[in-house]
Amino acid sequence: MSSHSAKGAQREFRRRDLFYLVPLWLVSLIAPDPYLYHKKEFKKKDLFYLGAICLAPLVWSDPHFLHLMVLAGIYAILALGLCLFMGYAGQISLGHAAFFGIGAYTTAILTTRYGFPPFVAFCVSAVTASLFAYFIGRPILKLKGYFLALATLGFGEIFLVIVRESTDLTGGVIGIFGIPWFSAMGFSFDTYLKQYYLAWGVLIGLFIFSKNLVRSKVGRALLAVAASEDAASSVGIDVPKTKLNIFIVGAAFAGLAGSLFACVMSTANPEAFSLGFTILIVMMVILGGTGNIYGPIAGAIFLTWLMDILSKYQEYSLPIYSVILILLLIFFPDGIGTRLNVRLIYLIGYWAKKRKRDEVKP
Amino acid sequence: MSLLAITEITKEYDGIRALDRVSLKVEEGSIKGLIGPNGAGKSTLFHLISGVEKPESGKIYFKERDITHMESHERSLLGIGRTFQTVQIWGNMTVVENIMAGMNRRLKGGFFSYGLWLPWIRRSEKETLREAKEILDSLGLLGKWESMASQLPYGKQKLLELGRALAMKPELLLLDEPASGLTFTEIEQLSDRISQIRQEGITVCIVEHHMGMVMEVADEIAVLHNGELIAEGTPEAVKKNPKVMEAYLSRGSGGTRDRR
Repeated sequence: MSSHSAKGAQREFRRRDLFYLVPLWLVSLIAPDPYLYHKKEFKKKDLFYLGAICLAPLVWSDPHFLHLMVLAGIYAILALGLCLFMGYAGQISLGHAAFFGIGAYTTAILTTRYGFPPFVAFCVSAVTASLFAYFIGRPILKLKGYFLALATLGFGEIFLVIVRESTDLTGGVIGIFGIPWFSAMGFSFDTYLKQYYLAWGVLIGLFIFSKNLVRSKVGRALLAVAASEDAASSVGIDVPKTKLNIFIVGAAFAGLAGSLFACVMSTANPEAFSLGFTILIVMMVILGGTGNIYGPIAGAIFLTWLMDILSKYQEYSLPIYSVILILLLIFFPDGIGTRLNVRLIYLIGYWAKKRKRDEVKP
Repeated sequence: MSLLAITEITKEYDGIRALDRVSLKVEEGSIKGLIGPNGAGKSTLFHLISGVEKPESGKIYFKERDITHMESHERSLLGIGRTFQTVQIWGNMTVVENIMAGMNRRLKGGFFSYGLWLPWIRRSEKETLREAKEILDSLGLLGKWESMASQLPYGKQKLLELGRALAMKPELLLLDEPASGLTFTEIEQLSDRISQIRQEGITVCIVEHHMGMVMEVADEIAVLHNGELIAEGTPEAVKKNPKVMEAYLSRGSGGTRDRR
C-alpha cells in the first residue's frame, strides 16, 4: 500500500471507482442499518424491502420456496417479539416457544372443537398468550440474568409436559389435526401464494408496530432498562412495568405466530414447541443482530433456508448446522446484518480517507 | 415548610449502622452541601432519599408527603431527580435519546398509541426532540447529539447525566459527587451551572469531596461522620466547628469502622 501511495496521489476520478460503487450501493440496500438507535425513522430503504417482499413470489413462484417463506415469515413474527424483549429490554427468555404453542393450541381447539372462524381464533390466541404472559411474567420478571433464563426455560418445559399429559384437551403426543385454512371475511387462504401474503402481511403490520414502539418513548424506556435499571427508575421509568409490558407484547406476537402456524400446517403437536425450537428462535434473534429490529427477520429467513438446504444431507445436517452457527457467532458476533454494514461503513470510510492520506504523505 | 425533611432515619448493613438517627431539612430554593469523610454515610443517605434503598426506621417527607415506602420511580415522578457517583448514562442510546428518555415522565400516552403512531404522538415526539436539543445546547453538547452516549469522554458523560436529570424538570436535584474525575476548568463550569440551576428554582442537594467547590456553591452544609450528623450550618460556621476538624483529622479510625 505504501508503495502505491509513493507513486503520488491520484486526485482525478478513476473508472475503477465506478466499478466499486455499484456493488457497494447494492449491498447497502440489502444490509440493515448497524446502529438503528440513530436512524429509527422509516426510510426509502424500507420501501425497497417492502417491494422485494411483495414481488418475490411473483418472480420465484416455486411452491417449495413459497412454503419456506411462509414458515420464515411466521418464525420472523415470533423472533420479532423476542427481539423486543431480548434485544431492546435486555432480558432473556428461553420459554418463548411456549407462547407460540399456546397460540397454536388455542386456535386448534377453538376451530376444531367449537367451530370458531379462524380469524376470531387468531385474535383470541393473541389474547390468551398475553394473559398467560401476564400471570407468568409478574412473578418471574423480578429475576435477572441466568435466573430469568432458567425460570423461563422451566416454564417452557412445564408447558410441554402439560400439553403431552392432558390428552383430553390437547390430544396428547399426537396433537390436533384438521385445523381449517385461515380465512377472513369469506376469503380463504388456501394456496401457498395466499399464505405467503398472509404471513408477510401480518409480519409487516407487526413490524411497523414494533418500529413505532422502538423509535418512541417506549423504545427509549426499554433501552434505558437494558442499560441501567437504577438510572431508569431515577428518571421515573417504572422498570418492572416496562419489562412486563414488553414481555406481554412479545407473547402476543408469539400467539399470533402460533395461530398462523396452526392454520398453515393444519396440525398442532407438542414436538413443534420443544426446547430446540426455542433455541432456534433465540438464534434467529442473535444471528440477525440483537438491538436491530430488522435482525430477526433476516435471521429467520437465513435459518429457515439453512435448515432446509441442510436437510439434504440427512444425518450430517445437525453437525454442519452447528458448525455454521459457531462460525457465524465467531465472525459475526453482533449479527450478520449489523456486521456487514459496519464493514461497509469502514470500507467507505477507508476509501475516502485514503485519498487524504496519500495527499499528505509526500 | 421545607421541601425535604428527614426525621430520625436509621439504616443498617449487616448490623453495621451506616446512618444513625439522622435528621435533616432542605429548604426550598437552597443548595445543601453534604460532606464527610469516606464511609460517613453520605451516599447511603442519597440512596434512601431517592429510594434505591429503604431505611430501617425514620421517615422521609417530600413536599409534606411521606415517601418513606415509595418505589424509586414514584419518587422521581414526584420530582426528585438524581445523578450517580459512578456515571450511569445509557450507553446504548444516542446522546439526544438519553435526554429524551429523561423527559419520559412528562410524556403522555400508552403502548398502543405509540405503536399505532397516532398524529398527536408524532407531534409530541417532535416537540420532545426539539426540547432535548435545546437542553443539549445549553450544556454545550449539541455538536454530538447524534453520537452514541458511550463514546463521549468522561467529563461529557457526567454533563450528560446532569442534563438527563434536568430534563425531567425535577424540584429537588440530588448530585452525588458531580466534581469527581473532572478537570479544574470543568469544576468551575460545574459550580457556575449549579448556581444557574438554583436560579431556575430547583433545589439542589450535593455530596462532594471537593471542598473548595462545595464551600463556594452551597448555602448550608451538613457534616456526616460515622453515620451521625455532627454539624450543620453555613460554610463559614462549619469550617470553624471543632468537631468537623476532628472528624477530618481522625479519618483513619472513622473510615475503617464504617467501610469494613
